[in-house]
Amino acid sequence: MSVLVLVTACCLPAAFAAGLVAGGRPVARALLLAGLAASVLVAVLSLPSGIDLGTTPALLPGGAPVAWRLAPAALWLYLFGAIGALAATASRSALASGRREGLWYSGVALSLVGAVGTFAVQDGVALLVSWEIMSLGGAFMLLCETPDRDRGMNVLFMLGLLEFGSVALMGAVLWLGLASGGPAFAGFHGAVGGGSGVAVGLLLLLGFGAKLGLLPFYEWFPGAYESGSGATGAVLSGVVLNAAFFGLARGLVDWTTGQTPGFAYLVLAVAVGTSILTALYAFQQDDWRGLLAFSSAENGGIAVTLIGAVLVLRDAGLSQLAALAWGAALIHLAGHALAKSGLFLTSDRIRRATGSYGLTSPGIARLAPWAGAAVVIAGMSLAAVPPTPGFISEWFGFQTLFNGFNLDSLSGRIALALSGAGLALTAAIALATFVKVLGLGLLGRPAENAPGQTGRRWIAVPLLAGAVLVLAIGMPWWLAALDTGMSARFGHGASELMRAGWLLVPLTPHFAFISPTKLAIAIPLYALVPVIVVLAVTRMRARRVPVWYGGLQERPGPSATTSLTFSNALRRYYSFVYRPRETTEREHDTADYFLHRLTFSYEDAPIFGPWLFSPVVRTVHWLSRGFRALQSGYLNFYLALIGAALMIVLVFTLA
Amino acid sequence: MPLWTLFGLRAGRATTRWPDGGDDGQSDVVGMPRFQPERCLSGCRECVDACLPGAITATGGEGEASIALDYGRCIACRMCIDSCPASALTASGDWAFGVRDRRDLRTANIGDGGGDEPAERLRAGIRRAFGRSLHIRHVDAGSCNGCESELQALNNPFYNLHRLGIFFTASPRHADVLLVTGTVTYAMRDALRATYEAMPEPRWVLASGSCAVSGGATAGTYASGRGADEVVPVDVYLPGCPPNPAALMHALLLLVERAEQRVHRGRVS
Amino acid sequence: MNGVTRRVLDPAGLGPACDALHEQHGRMQMAYALERDDGGLEVRYLAAPGSGQAFELWCCRPADGRLPTLTDRAPLLGWYEREMQDLFGLEFGGHPEPHRLVLHEGADPSVPPLRRAAPPGEALPFVRAPWTEPDIDGEDVQRLPFGPVRADVAESAQFVFYYLGEGILHYYPRLFFKHRGLEKRFEGTRPELGVVLAERVSGVGSLGHALAYCQAVEDACGCRVPEYAQWARTLLQELERIYNHLHYFAILADATTLKVGNAQGRLLEEDAKKINARVTGSRFLRNMLIPGGLRRALSGLDGLEDALDPLRRAVERYLAKLNATPSYRDRLIGTGVLTRRTAFDQGATGPVERASGLDRDLRRDHPYAAYESLPPEVTLAETGDADARAAIRRRELLASFTFVSRLLRAVPGGSLRAECRPEAGSGGLGWTEGPRGALYYAVHIGPDGQLGRVKIKSPSFSNWRVFPFTVHGTDMMDYAINEASFGLTIAGCDR
Repeated sequence: MSVLVLVTACCLPAAFAAGLVAGGRPVARALLLAGLAASVLVAVLSLPSGIDLGTTPALLPGGAPVAWRLAPAALWLYLFGAIGALAATASRSALASGRREGLWYSGVALSLVGAVGTFAVQDGVALLVSWEIMSLGGAFMLLCETPDRDRGMNVLFMLGLLEFGSVALMGAVLWLGLASGGPAFAGFHGAVGGGSGVAVGLLLLLGFGAKLGLLPFYEWFPGAYESGSGATGAVLSGVVLNAAFFGLARGLVDWTTGQTPGFAYLVLAVAVGTSILTALYAFQQDDWRGLLAFSSAENGGIAVTLIGAVLVLRDAGLSQLAALAWGAALIHLAGHALAKSGLFLTSDRIRRATGSYGLTSPGIARLAPWAGAAVVIAGMSLAAVPPTPGFISEWFGFQTLFNGFNLDSLSGRIALALSGAGLALTAAIALATFVKVLGLGLLGRPAENAPGQTGRRWIAVPLLAGAVLVLAIGMPWWLAALDTGMSARFGHGASELMRAGWLLVPLTPHFAFISPTKLAIAIPLYALVPVIVVLAVTRMRARRVPVWYGGLQERPGPSATTSLTFSNALRRYYSFVYRPRETTEREHDTADYFLHRLTFSYEDAPIFGPWLFSPVVRTVHWLSRGFRALQSGYLNFYLALIGAALMIVLVFTLA
Repeated sequence: MPLWTLFGLRAGRATTRWPDGGDDGQSDVVGMPRFQPERCLSGCRECVDACLPGAITATGGEGEASIALDYGRCIACRMCIDSCPASALTASGDWAFGVRDRRDLRTANIGDGGGDEPAERLRAGIRRAFGRSLHIRHVDAGSCNGCESELQALNNPFYNLHRLGIFFTASPRHADVLLVTGTVTYAMRDALRATYEAMPEPRWVLASGSCAVSGGATAGTYASGRGADEVVPVDVYLPGCPPNPAALMHALLLLVERAEQRVHRGRVS
Repeated sequence: MNGVTRRVLDPAGLGPACDALHEQHGRMQMAYALERDDGGLEVRYLAAPGSGQAFELWCCRPADGRLPTLTDRAPLLGWYEREMQDLFGLEFGGHPEPHRLVLHEGADPSVPPLRRAAPPGEALPFVRAPWTEPDIDGEDVQRLPFGPVRADVAESAQFVFYYLGEGILHYYPRLFFKHRGLEKRFEGTRPELGVVLAERVSGVGSLGHALAYCQAVEDACGCRVPEYAQWARTLLQELERIYNHLHYFAILADATTLKVGNAQGRLLEEDAKKINARVTGSRFLRNMLIPGGLRRALSGLDGLEDALDPLRRAVERYLAKLNATPSYRDRLIGTGVLTRRTAFDQGATGPVERASGLDRDLRRDHPYAAYESLPPEVTLAETGDADARAAIRRRELLASFTFVSRLLRAVPGGSLRAECRPEAGSGGLGWTEGPRGALYYAVHIGPDGQLGRVKIKSPSFSNWRVFPFTVHGTDMMDYAINEASFGLTIAGCDR
């Protein structure tokens, strides 16, 4: 075990260094793969008890050594994110090539180091450092893949918002550190309460939420993700997202206890609002990466909703239900990491087949049918269709929220009920979104002038889809890995209440149950029935005729559903959110009766861009224009300023 | 909308019982001319000159056999009746002219050989398989829209084709019968053929209207064909210009052997 | 030609003449080409200077088979010029859409079909080629080609939509699948048999076509039709209007999903067709007309008024009920708005143009048959939407019943027909205002006394050109209702 830990600890930083060196690309890749594989093994072997990784020297002079410990929940989240990152690294599908590919591997290594740090360090300062390294890693990956200035602006926007989060996080850590007398997490439990607890909770929400994409921070998602490749997206939406979530969940549940229920409602409101908004925007995207990015933010929002439910339920004393919600959140992000990585890697294959990441009809299902089936399974998980882990976590989540009638307070019941309604809306839009992705992305005839090949044999995506299915089918047994952690947090055998034999149950099998395990056996058996019937009964030879279009032969391409036409109905229905704008330019000959050419374009408006970020930017510019007066260039003015500063210092020291 | 439902209920039954007795709705309608060649004047060719589509031809024979009539080309314009000095051609109410064999529309003195064998294409047991329900795909291959008007009338409350189990479908994939109207213009040839190919077997074709049977009044121009059997194999021919709804019902029932053919070798029996 | 002023213009004078016409608020009606006996081509333009004034026929000889286009001044001539391009091989310089119209892309005749040199009875060589379309730029736009074989019992035509799931960006109908070359079929036929062909241009417009044709031939030979025949022709035209408008309302009810309304409309149309059969022996009023008068007397006139009365009351109740149905009116109001300017420029005719505020009706402005002594009332509307088009037809339908009652109360005596033998080289123009609008026949007699060139301008030809301008920018859900509210035929347009 310690060998594996050592391997991980050496390989990842070494991969970072190797990638920076010219010609170190294959070495970096090998080191990265080795480090990831080792870390996955560590995670698998260390569940359910967690693992103590030892200490490293202190970062600040005079401080205590930094302890590294991976709790079971952290191991669980890291494991699935790392599998996704492993697949992304092995796929070699980053947009960077040549020298830049080495830098890309460095970026991945940086992100992983930062993520491991976020999961494992037990010290506030080290947490901040890991957090920044993780952000830097993300920026590294994206910048390697984007050669031009405009895309680079998107990465800067991402970094800007993440810095805002870092400042908030710094504030929270400082506050907690001051209240508990040191930066170690052990002292943070219960260090603040009441109003301070709410403030610290808000800062944590802002800090981790910037990376998770809680509103209003999700606006960097589309720009940043669309600057990179699917492999980058797989890493960002897998390991990095899970790390951010873990930080937020631990912060809210462990460090800030006993606050007003109002704060929990605020968390619920922010999270549900995020999921609904990002689900709506995801549905309108016409680029694989943008759509999957918004979907990641939406899933992060769902997980945070469940954390909010944990807070509400635990404060009301219903710790078993709280444990249920916590478990649901963990399962949700586990399945999400696997499925999302699978879809991001699919988008890279589609780019190889058609030349772009757009959601047009590339006909992948014709080019690679079995891989297409794997993509469908991944999509099913994200759309919460049984028997996938996405469905399991949604089901557990709804069971928790609708069990809110057990609460005593009316406000609690209303809050949970409304959250349930919001989650239902999100789930519906997510279903539509993934129908769109799978339908447009897989079906249809390949375009005539497309390269037509998806590259080498697909390995990663089918394996990830297999992992998704294995996760779902074996869930009653994998849940044992969470036993220790959940008992420690919520008392008694909390996670044992989520399963009963082969069934998954919400605390008791008498209320409801599902069983993906049994479904996985029943569905193929049922599917045999029509197959047997067809094979036994069909005697006539089929006569194939062209598709019926009304008598003439037509090309199917121009008639196919496009991304906009699929989503147009919802776009008009929710026009108060999207504020859509369509531009039709018509060019005429002679009078305006004879159309010569028609050009159509459309765009949707983001919410926070024009209403929050632009005003803030304008305010900052205004302020800076005001402060520019200080740079007047007059020597006498500067001398006067120095004099005034000296006077103030004198006043303070003498007073 | 409750207004309309109540209205419909109060209006009662408007459907005729025909063909099981009752009014066929065509009591005043004049059909194909009745030909009594025994009244012909010797050497008279007035009807031949008056016939625009060339349904009436002179055979070069003697007496009764000198004039031949092809009902498949007749557009019931009655010019021949108006021009006949001997009342050999008279107006009649005969319109049920659906036949299985094209030769049955021609008087016997058109030398095309052959007797009374029905077309071999209709397989046995059609009544058993399709006697209760028939689905029709209609294709307009260049008609004047008179045939379409009468076909649309089949679903009005008076004729109510549905009570016979016969329906019009939107897709040829669901159709048993292809009903062709029009002469088959140059632009509709491929569309008509594609519709026929798109139908699953067993399938039948009904050529409805003199245009579909033989090209009718407009046959043989640069754009117009000479009937549906140049493009698809036809099972039942129904001349008329246009055939009225009762004639159409008779032809459809003839197709599924629920009615008897009334015309043999150009004679109404 | 009677009542028509002839002017001979050279190609350069066409533009100024068109401008002068527009200044007097006149409008071009149609244009057609013919081959003269010496083998050269001549193009004729029919202009309507204004209400109450006689038509003008401008005759122009193209130089080297070329003429300048008048589409920039009178956009409605666009289709006529394209038709002349296809069928005669003429060229119109500066035409904004010089693509195939009547003959489909891929049809490759060795000689333009309506020239005398075209081999008779020879089929058109044809290999289907893609249509010429406007350039639609936008990867999100879908293209739906609907047809030519359409759902249910319908005429063949293809409608091409450029749309975004629900909203239509651009639309155009591809017609002329049913082009039978009828105008060529007329050539060489005896004038008194030509009426049989005219009746089979458009089945539901049989009488209107026959009447316009007969009037054209009567104009060519200058004969006077007897009073009884004129009276009977008027009666028959109003009977045709009645059953066509009833069919229109049945289809409109179907488009707005009033199933019982549709059934009742069709039942009333069936009753009207039975009355047609009672009066003429034909449900479509065929086989009655001949140049010079009638072929036989109307039958069943006794008691016809008693037979019409219950139908009239049922129609009044039916129309009132339709009008009182909110869902029906809702779907019609504001749908498919046709502005007055577009209706004028693009040549709308009949109830479609009257619903957009253009006050034109051939029965009143250029009377024929018995309309001279009994002018009909003409209704107008301003909004130009589907509701206005339905309202115009509703009032016309009720007015037709009144008109028929008036006619039945005063049956004149007289003979059935007059002698009508047009001379070789003569020509005539005939017109009627049918249920769909203005229909013109221009008939030229050849050197052998048989029919030479026959030009048919049906109201559906004009209105199909107008229709797309009401569809651009609307919704798919409204399309069927809009098309039903126009009430057009395709056979009349395609010929």
